Amino acid sequence: MQFEIKHKPDYASLHIKLQTGEQIVTESGAMMGMSPELKMESNLKGGLLSAAKRALGGESMILNTYTATGDGQRLDLAPAAPGDMLHIELGDRDIMIQSGSFCASEPSVTMDTKWSGAKTFFGGEGLFMLKASGNGNLWITSYGAIHEVYVEGTYIIDTGHIVAFEDSLSFNVRKVGGLKSLFFSGEGLVCEFSGTGRLWFQTRDPANLAAFAHPYRKVKPKN
Amino acid sequence: MQIEIKYGPSYALAIVNLEKDEEVISESGAMVSMDSHVKIETSAGKKDQGALGGLMSGLKRMVAGESFFQNRFRAEGKSGEVTFAPTFVGDMDKHELNDSTLLIQSKSFVCSGVGVDLNSKWGGGKTFFGGEGFILLKASGSGPIVFNAFGGIRKIEIDGSFTVDTGHIVAFEETLTFKVERFGGGWKSFIFGGEGLVCHFTGKGTLWIQTRNPQEFGQFLGSKLPMRNR
Repeated sequence: MQFEIKHKPDYASLHIKLQTGEQIVTESGAMMGMSPELKMESNLKGGLLSAAKRALGGESMILNTYTATGDGQRLDLAPAAPGDMLHIELGDRDIMIQSGSFCASEPSVTMDTKWSGAKTFFGGEGLFMLKASGNGNLWITSYGAIHEVYVEGTYIIDTGHIVAFEDSLSFNVRKVGGLKSLFFSGEGLVCEFSGTGRLWFQTRDPANLAAFAHPYRKVKPKN
Repeated sequence: MQIEIKYGPSYALAIVNLEKDEEVISESGAMVSMDSHVKIETSAGKKDQGALGGLMSGLKRMVAGESFFQNRFRAEGKSGEVTFAPTFVGDMDKHELNDSTLLIQSKSFVCSGVGVDLNSKWGGGKTFFGGEGFILLKASGSGPIVFNAFGGIRKIEIDGSFTVDTGHIVAFEETLTFKVERFGGGWKSFIFGGEGLVCHFTGKGTLWIQTRNPQEFGQFLGSKLPMRNR
């Protein structure tokens, strides 16, 4: 397998060349271009019974698995939002990934959508944290650029900006500041990370873009 | 205070490194991350203004499109880091005020040092359909100030005169005289011309503009989104 990330950090895309039998698992919708000989299979992470849970905004994802039927087959991937891409070689530490930031991985990387902290980070926006474990290549994406912080001690970050973090870090999601800041600072939910490890955040928050666009929607006329 | 701006020109992030007990003031909601020992204080006005002075400052800022409250970040006990980012994709620039004044489009303000005094100022030119007009933040004093743009930032040295669509204005030096009016002058060109308010600058000074206009982008998106109930 060979890969290259192009157009960083503004419109990053992933370009992979596979040898016979090699596989890549991607989030659905990521495919931009491919050799037609690649075999593609779609799976509902969590199985068919989880389909009911999905209606409650539960932790499910549709993942596509591509298998190369010959040498040198190409798969080009692009995420939904304009922004950056990061490659991580997964090894001794598990990585928690914001669900919207998962792009692709090798099948040797396992995704857990149901670990205990999965739903504690976001105030019901349909986002959750995935736990990636095992070893192999992992690619994550962002809205905006990806900034890496090496935490030694404690560090606070606005949850809408979280992309990923190493599981050596413990976390505590809360409102920022004291009582007055609770209501007026406009900062919302933050996550306090403690311990030692790497964390990655994105420099733009898609929820802010949605909040900006909302007042521009035309109002339904009363009938 | 050290300010580093990374990931421009599209996704700029301002990384502020505060010395022990130093403060930075920002627009509410702009903070992305910070060291845990950095304390946030939300206040309406400056520390020495008192309750009524603080209330008036807060109200004026609300009129300017900024939030009523300002956030003061203080690195308590040791040096600390705070990072800021705006809503829009685009660039950021920092400017050092030296007992000088900069007028900033209210939505473009990111953060400033405590030596910079912030006051709202009405830019004039209420639109035919009502609405915001053109609102400015007057930043005077000494110290660093960071502003953001929707899109790229272009710095224009004016010596004479120059006309700009108000939606593209990021900031300009007070040495410039400005006048806001409808583009084209008449009602026909205002309604059908596709342009809104323009600002005529005269004199000598620096003007910073952004290469995208938020209201136009909002209308562009809004027209393609489903209708809302209210």
